[in-house]
Amino acid sequence: MTAIQPAIIRRRSPFMRKAFPYFLLAPAMIYLLGITLYPGIYALYRSTMTGKFKLEFVGLDNYRELIVDNAFWESLYNTLVLGSITLVIEFTIAMALAALVYRDPWVKAWRIIFLLPMLFMPSAVSFLWKLIFNDGRIISDLLTRLGSTFGNIDFMGSSGFARSVLVVTDVWQWTPFLFIIFVAGLQGMDKEVEEAARLDGASWSSIFFNISLPMIRPVIAIGLVLRGIDILTMFTPVHVITQGSPGGATETLSYFIYRTAFKSFEQGYASAASVLLLIATIVVSQTLVRRFFKSGTE
Amino acid sequence: MKNKVTSGTWVAKFILSLWAAACLLPIIFFASIALRPRNEIIAPTPIYFPTLTTETWSKIWDEWPIGTYFANSVMAVFGSVVICLLLGVPAAYALARYRFKGREDIGFYILSTKMMAPAAVAIPMFVLFGRLHILDTVWALMLIYAAANLSIVVWIIRSYMVDIPHEIEDAARTDGASDLRIMWSIIIPMCLPGIITAAVIAAIFAMNEYLFTLIIASKNAYPLSVALANFSGGSDGIIYNAIALVSFLAFFPALLLVISIQNHLSRGLTMGAVKG
Repeated sequence: MTAIQPAIIRRRSPFMRKAFPYFLLAPAMIYLLGITLYPGIYALYRSTMTGKFKLEFVGLDNYRELIVDNAFWESLYNTLVLGSITLVIEFTIAMALAALVYRDPWVKAWRIIFLLPMLFMPSAVSFLWKLIFNDGRIISDLLTRLGSTFGNIDFMGSSGFARSVLVVTDVWQWTPFLFIIFVAGLQGMDKEVEEAARLDGASWSSIFFNISLPMIRPVIAIGLVLRGIDILTMFTPVHVITQGSPGGATETLSYFIYRTAFKSFEQGYASAASVLLLIATIVVSQTLVRRFFKSGTE
Repeated sequence: MKNKVTSGTWVAKFILSLWAAACLLPIIFFASIALRPRNEIIAPTPIYFPTLTTETWSKIWDEWPIGTYFANSVMAVFGSVVICLLLGVPAAYALARYRFKGREDIGFYILSTKMMAPAAVAIPMFVLFGRLHILDTVWALMLIYAAANLSIVVWIIRSYMVDIPHEIEDAARTDGASDLRIMWSIIIPMCLPGIITAAVIAAIFAMNEYLFTLIIASKNAYPLSVALANFSGGSDGIIYNAIALVSFLAFFPALLLVISIQNHLSRGLTMGAVKG
């Protein structure tokens, strides 16, 4: 990173010189504080209240209720399980494809094809897979043609199937995200190191696992952090495809908050969950983000 | 050795083709949904080779104000990108080109707003917009999309601005140019690719936004992303050909935008962290 030299500034008072960058930052900062500080404070306030129109102060009752609410814990569990499975699958596919493609002369063509799913709106992709799995019975039909005897499978009927549909939907749409980042990371690597190893007779796989992969570790970390955060707030496919069914088995934390706030209209209760989620995101973003984006500011 | 490499490339080509098929077949199927009559979408056995027709389109067009949805999307997305650039370019410039107290903390604070879960701030935003009487307006969508994407825009542009050598700036300064003038006539033109990349990524994310849109828009302000969730006609169930049609209506502009920045895509998606 280029070192930033002190600017030589003329015709300006020392105060203006010091204050100038803050003036440039002020509009963006005010806007962002408005959308982070205000919601945080409001959610905290609202979480101590109950009622739909006439609010009543109840102290920590919402939190007390929340920590013994099975639906809340189940949504947290689902978020983590669905999230980690999805992330592992996306990582594996994206890395495998990136490894195969990054020295390929056709890399640009592959990249365009692979990123197409990412260019549809997530709600559109959710409907597409809802149609393929359930409403259009495509998967059941294809399986029958291949000799399965299950007939029409109700993918919303069992928790395992319903969760798989969400995983497939997310993997199909967002594997390209990691793929594009990994390809860029691999292409940005110094070619000569690999060449030298190849001349020494190292096999393709040992070059990849012992040289290339460790070299792009920062890139992998950034990709996983960004994708991980998105996956942990998964909402759209849940809302479009499963609505949390069967029996809450696919309800994510985001959907839990949405349902309690905007379907059962228990905003105080949902605010308590929001506050906990906010605290979690602040902790995660402060630790992970600082660590992995550090090089960018130095 | 040589043999191994060639057979290796064939295996590689095969795997890549498999994934390409996995990407393309659902899209082709989706396109065929947009092009088939309603009674061939959900049949006792799926129809893989339907009658292709565009006749249903005029019916879809009559049934829903798709033009309005599209206009809502365009206005909300465009407006939010303008807000992001107006606020984001000066902020990025300050973070990239000045040394000042708290620079790093401010930078990370801006970045961390990207990590906020939309669900966690949905209720306060709903209440706030309700008090401002802008629920179900394009204005509210604009403001919320800008808020959601400002961090990305700042960080992408910042990463491009950091790369500009200081000599250029110093030369202008010795010629007597003011800081604002340097930003406007030197730095901004030089990192135009970064600004365009940021704008495209912000536009696509705004176009895709779902949760906030769902709670803000209830009828008048429907953009495409949420409008398609309402294409169900009572006993007809979900009307998939309308959904598919609208999906492609949003897909093609996104494709053109992304192709225009394809060499900057990885840098944009990682907010400037991965250059390539």
